[in-house]
Amino acid sequence: MGNNKAHADQKYIEALLNNDSIVIKEIYEKFAPKVVGYIKKNSGDESKAQDIIQETLITIYKQAKEKELMLTCPFDAYFFLLCKRKWLNELKKNTTKEVTINEEVVSINDESVQYADETVVFEARNKLFTEVFDQLGKACKELLKATFTIKSMEEVASKLGQSYGYVRKKKSLCIGQLTKMVQSAPKYNKIKNLL
Amino acid sequence: MTPEEKYELFERKISEELSNKEEETLSQIIKEDKAIAEEFRIYKEWSSYLDANLNLEQEQSDLEQNLKKVGDSFFEKKQAKKETKVIKIPSWAYAVAASVAIVLGVYTFTKSDPAYNDFASIPELSITERGSEDEISKKAEASFNSENYEEAEKYLLELLNNDNSNSEYLFYLGITLVEQDKHEKASEIFEKLRQGTSVYKYKAIWFEALNQLKQKNIGRCTELLKSLPQEAEDYQQAQKLLKKL
Repeated sequence: MGNNKAHADQKYIEALLNNDSIVIKEIYEKFAPKVVGYIKKNSGDESKAQDIIQETLITIYKQAKEKELMLTCPFDAYFFLLCKRKWLNELKKNTTKEVTINEEVVSINDESVQYADETVVFEARNKLFTEVFDQLGKACKELLKATFTIKSMEEVASKLGQSYGYVRKKKSLCIGQLTKMVQSAPKYNKIKNLL
Repeated sequence: MTPEEKYELFERKISEELSNKEEETLSQIIKEDKAIAEEFRIYKEWSSYLDANLNLEQEQSDLEQNLKKVGDSFFEKKQAKKETKVIKIPSWAYAVAASVAIVLGVYTFTKSDPAYNDFASIPELSITERGSEDEISKKAEASFNSENYEEAEKYLLELLNNDNSNSEYLFYLGITLVEQDKHEKASEIFEKLRQGTSVYKYKAIWFEALNQLKQKNIGRCTELLKSLPQEAEDYQQAQKLLKKL
């Protein structure tokens, strides 16, 4: 996105990847207060804010891990936007009564919005894939777990007492099945064009 | 092409096992058939998802636990701050406070040589994971956080025996050494971190500068402070110190 130089705040993404307590503490100290303030103003409390912050950080971590997320904008606005959207979704899910949203003016540049959008799509895709994977048959699940955790297909083959060619074929059929299942999921149409 | 053949072709493409000719065939098909192109896209997404998620369980749960721990302590601290009571001060006390402030101001003004202790804020060591049985980590943490640096050095060295490139252990070991005035050893460690790429890279420069300050090597200290880039966490502190030197 834009130029390819990582922003100095990339260190927060790295900290999540390395589970670096010192910098993670810094994330809370620097960025949590604004989120807490927002959630408290909008029918939430501190414990809700803590959950939202934790979930958001896990999503960012997952995206960084799988898609090598590289920030070229400040972490602040990106993180705040994500927490805010997550909280608004939460409110919509759980409240029957009317919710008043106290919007506050935050200066947010386009790049942060773009990054936040990508993360939101990533999260939706992950949620859908997790649900679909759960519905997969036991044999396929086990085979995929073996092939993706043991990396070497030869090793998997010998473990299962099968030939390399057979295991690869089975693996491709299982992923093929997942592909079909996703395509027929109603939710898929919502995010399909964004992936 | 049967579905079996199609998926196997996808799989072999992703694991980079296709011959040139097969590559050509596949890109031709993808170009011509939108439905297959779409399927291939999702297939690839699955492959990347599975690769990340089936391998992530342990790592992710470690991170979750750590976030919970950091979050708990952050939110508790916040709570504690709020509960501090405001004590009403009689108005005459303001006058006393003001004169004390003036006296203190004059005192600190005349005593303007910056010292190590004015600038070194020692971070807390937090390396044990919840539910972990690791005794050495616990001891390292307890001794470091209670400022028993001699003991902490011992335990950190032990931890480094099993994990000799762990930059977190190295960084904290460096601090225990500065605190015990083992300046040269500390310099070696900070230099190693400075040349690395870990998150402690800049922290190491800052603490090495403090290490030099403690030895009153003002020239070297200044040099190090100037080398600290703006994005470093301690940049502001470094500028403050530079002004005083």
